[in-house]
Amino acid sequence: MYGWIWRHLPGNVWVKALISLALMLLVVYVLFQYVFPWAEPLLPFNDVTVDNQ
Amino acid sequence: MRVVVRAVSELCITVGTLIVLFVVYVLFWTGVRADGAMNHQIDVLQDRWAKQTAHPTTTPSPSTTAAPAPPAPYAAGKPFAIMYIPRLGFTWNKPVLENTEVSTLKKGLGHYANTARLGQEGNFAVAGHRRTYGDPFVNFPRLRPGDAVVLTDGTTWFTYRIDKGPYKTVPTDVEVIDPVPRKSGYTREGRYLTLTTCDPEWGHSHRLIVWAHLDSTQPVEAGKPAALRR
Repeated sequence: MYGWIWRHLPGNVWVKALISLALMLLVVYVLFQYVFPWAEPLLPFNDVTVDNQ
Repeated sequence: MRVVVRAVSELCITVGTLIVLFVVYVLFWTGVRADGAMNHQIDVLQDRWAKQTAHPTTTPSPSTTAAPAPPAPYAAGKPFAIMYIPRLGFTWNKPVLENTEVSTLKKGLGHYANTARLGQEGNFAVAGHRRTYGDPFVNFPRLRPGDAVVLTDGTTWFTYRIDKGPYKTVPTDVEVIDPVPRKSGYTREGRYLTLTTCDPEWGHSHRLIVWAHLDSTQPVEAGKPAALRR
């Protein structure tokens, strides 16, 4: 998978490295901004009240 | 064969990275976000109170003898008070917001919407996170009878004194936030405060409760109450 992505990135090694870094940052951003906030309430840390268990 | 091994190992690395990132998010990033959100809520409150105190003198009400109008109900998800608990740290202060929805508790402590107003007859019940989202109640078990819980709504300081707790119970025990909470030892109506959080620290099988009664009030013009002075 990662080899496939690497081969399909344009440019020389430095451009490829730069683009991969940008892609990684984008993935981390999407995870922190959208995926994890959605997943976190499924864990038990939000249950602090006595009525809406 | 080599392709399969490579695919499986790449998958394992990806899943491992995801898990590490998620742990970082839960342990660290929710705290960063919550601290920012709580400070913002406190700023909102202080701005609002600064405006309140600036205006009333310029517009004297014509009917000063009439009973004051009943205060507006707390707006859902909006802050209305700041809580101080010296036992949890001299700089510990958190905004109290109306209702106990998940999104509200990310920004501060949550006031159970169906319980009494701050300082009024009945039970003013507040819930807060034990862990994640800034860990507001991480040291909840350190609370002891006699500890002060101080709140301000911008016009009055309310000093509550803890009478009982931490008391461990189950999540379905809704009677702990009744106007006269069962198991609290209170026998008649009064101005009470209940704090709830989860127990164990990272779990959700139980709840920790403390109960307090209103000990004293004073207008903000009179300065901070004794419990908050160093």
